[in-house]
Amino acid sequence: MQKYEKLEKIGEGTYGTVFKAKNRETHEIVALKRVRLDDDDEGVPSSALREICLLKELKHKNIVRLYDVLHSDKKLTLVFEHCDQDLKKYFDSLNGEIDLDIVKSFMYQLLRGLAFCHSNNVLHRDLKPQNLLINKNGELKLADFGLARAFGIPVKCYSAEVVTLWYRPPDVLFGAKLYTTSIDMWSAGCIFAELANAGRPLFPGSDVDDQLRRIFKLLGTPTEETWPTMTQLPDYKPFPLYQPSMSLAQVVPKLGSRGRDLLQRLLVCNPMQRISADDAMAHPYFTDLNPTIKNDRC
Amino acid sequence: MAPTRATKPELILAVGAKRVNTNAISTRSKSTIINVVKERAKRKADGSPPKENGVKRSAFGDITNALKKTKETEIKGKTIIKVPNAAKKVKVQAKVLPTVRTVNHKKNENTCPPPAPVNNKPRTRATQRLHQPNQTVQKPKEVLKDNTNVNQKIKTRLSNEFEKTEESLYSTAIDINISNCNSSTVKSNGSKIDQTEENDKGIDRLSKVSFVAQQLEKKLTLNSYCGSPEGIDDFDKENWNDPFQVSHYAMDIFNYLKERESYFTIKDYMDHQIHLSCWMRTLLIDWMVEIQESFELNHETLYLGVKLVDLYLSKVIVSRDDLQLVGVASIFIASKFDERIPPSVDDFVYICDSAYDRRKLLRMEMNILKVIDFDLGIPLSYRFLRRYARCAKVNMPTLTLARFILEYSLMDYAIVTLRDSKLAAAALYIALKMKNISGWTPTLEYYTGYTLMEFIDIARLLNNGLHQKPKEQIMTVRNKYSHKIFFHVAKTPLVPTEDL
Repeated sequence: MQKYEKLEKIGEGTYGTVFKAKNRETHEIVALKRVRLDDDDEGVPSSALREICLLKELKHKNIVRLYDVLHSDKKLTLVFEHCDQDLKKYFDSLNGEIDLDIVKSFMYQLLRGLAFCHSNNVLHRDLKPQNLLINKNGELKLADFGLARAFGIPVKCYSAEVVTLWYRPPDVLFGAKLYTTSIDMWSAGCIFAELANAGRPLFPGSDVDDQLRRIFKLLGTPTEETWPTMTQLPDYKPFPLYQPSMSLAQVVPKLGSRGRDLLQRLLVCNPMQRISADDAMAHPYFTDLNPTIKNDRC
Repeated sequence: MAPTRATKPELILAVGAKRVNTNAISTRSKSTIINVVKERAKRKADGSPPKENGVKRSAFGDITNALKKTKETEIKGKTIIKVPNAAKKVKVQAKVLPTVRTVNHKKNENTCPPPAPVNNKPRTRATQRLHQPNQTVQKPKEVLKDNTNVNQKIKTRLSNEFEKTEESLYSTAIDINISNCNSSTVKSNGSKIDQTEENDKGIDRLSKVSFVAQQLEKKLTLNSYCGSPEGIDDFDKENWNDPFQVSHYAMDIFNYLKERESYFTIKDYMDHQIHLSCWMRTLLIDWMVEIQESFELNHETLYLGVKLVDLYLSKVIVSRDDLQLVGVASIFIASKFDERIPPSVDDFVYICDSAYDRRKLLRMEMNILKVIDFDLGIPLSYRFLRRYARCAKVNMPTLTLARFILEYSLMDYAIVTLRDSKLAAAALYIALKMKNISGWTPTLEYYTGYTLMEFIDIARLLNNGLHQKPKEQIMTVRNKYSHKIFFHVAKTPLVPTEDL
């Protein structure tokens, strides 16, 4: 690895260690993700394989850029653009206060990156603050495509073991394997609320049951009318019929009425009714978004 | 729901046992085989026709044969000598190079000596190109029964029932739960939104208002969406409220895929492949289809695997010994990309009858990935076909026929340089003609972006390929699509190329 000088370990991705490193020639700072290849293993992990080829396709300002893939006998190194921190770490530095313009800007960039993925045939399937990278210029980028995959049209059944619990939509919690772009939209909704609350997770469930209970307690348990197909999902089980316990105004007190309306459209239990990324970007909540952010396309 | 067929798992078990007897197998791979059988028994290829035990050709025996006679066949072209019986076949197989193996039904050993020249080996009309335009029309003996009834029934189906049929037919996913997800789709489609609005018990006032507003907005969005031109059914609009059709993005995605096709153009490479011939490639693809069936892989995996083979061969000179390795590594990579649960390295080593060890396979995996620069998001004809057929509301038997035509064409080297979106259009066009359903309609023109003139040459090429006398070494695709689960489409009477 002569080309890069390793500086420090940043963290662990889905399938490998991530280092901060410096290009010895250009002095550019990059992030290196290292994947060990062992003859006893299954070769290149499918998560790495998918991340590499999906990111090679997805070139967008709001998606982390994969510069290069280096391979040696025993390892594979992915060279990424380096971002200063992830959204999780950013939250930790906030002390519970966040500028609402930043919330709007981050949310818009998240949706824009997501809309780009979706219109390019890719589901992210693991959106959470740790996987959203932030740099000094206030740019937000989707990262860690280790669970992402290209989807067919119409979609086929995929794994139900996707998305970190707290950000997993109710249909997938009930074991749905036939899902589509709406899977990411739920996560986006959870992140939106978390942003508005400066890093307090919306549904920090401890297991699948607890997760569903928390969701239903807030939004009300879906009924045959609001979600007719729910009872046919593989892992469906009945929950007490919670009435929505409090309004979203109590949950995200700082978010204005437009922001709450958008959140409401994202956090819809029935995936059929969940708003798409494109439509969400057109929501009135963003009408007063700083035009430099809005027009700053890839 | 996909009927489970017992034949195949048993067959594999039998093969496993045979292999154990012949000592070519380590305990480890033995357990692998059993695992394979256990895991896969429930999702056994209902698409595949019953295979006669033991009679099945050894694909790579044939390659070996082909290798040795490539030169002469190239000259003689038309010699056909049938394999008289199984005994002779065994003899032939015993001389198979260690490099060339079949998925199963193998009788010979790993340790067999280098092949001596064989005289009684199966001969084929191993022409370089499969699509000799001067072939006489060969009508299949069995004529498909008139299925107009089926057609009519299917025409009235909801799109999602359509999907259900399709998924169960092509049951490539493992789960029994598929039926659940699909049946729920059917229901969800049936229950209209206005119904939901009427019975709003249990929803609070606020969210109901928002809900109605949302529906309104959805309609608004739909209005702003620029739909298809007049006179053309707007498939995406009809399915706008069915998220599983991804209607919002479908047009974008297919435009994007079409645009990407140009990055993956494959040049005519066979002249540079000094060790290989088109026929060897054909045999390899036939074997890959067999792998797809045996492991119940998605069709996308097969098509992607074939693409990887061609992309690799267009850039790297490959020896005969390594051709099968390239094929198996390509399918291995493709399954990691597309399958929910890809078969393991050991599974793939096994189906090559351990001609290559896992180390070799993993090396080749990395080689291929390097050569294609990790770019696996390759637009596939199979995807295009599915989209076209759905937009034109083509029924399952016809779509299946088009799929047969397309899959059959994979073996034809002449298609490797062609665009996948056009190949799909050509296959669908031929199928529509064979079923006497329609010509190339404005709807199809709109959704494919092609006029008939833009792909008629390809359609002729594919049709000529179908008219070629079936060769016994490459019967996998034909057999597969002769099965009732695929509506016996391979037995559909052909149309003369002049009539296209």
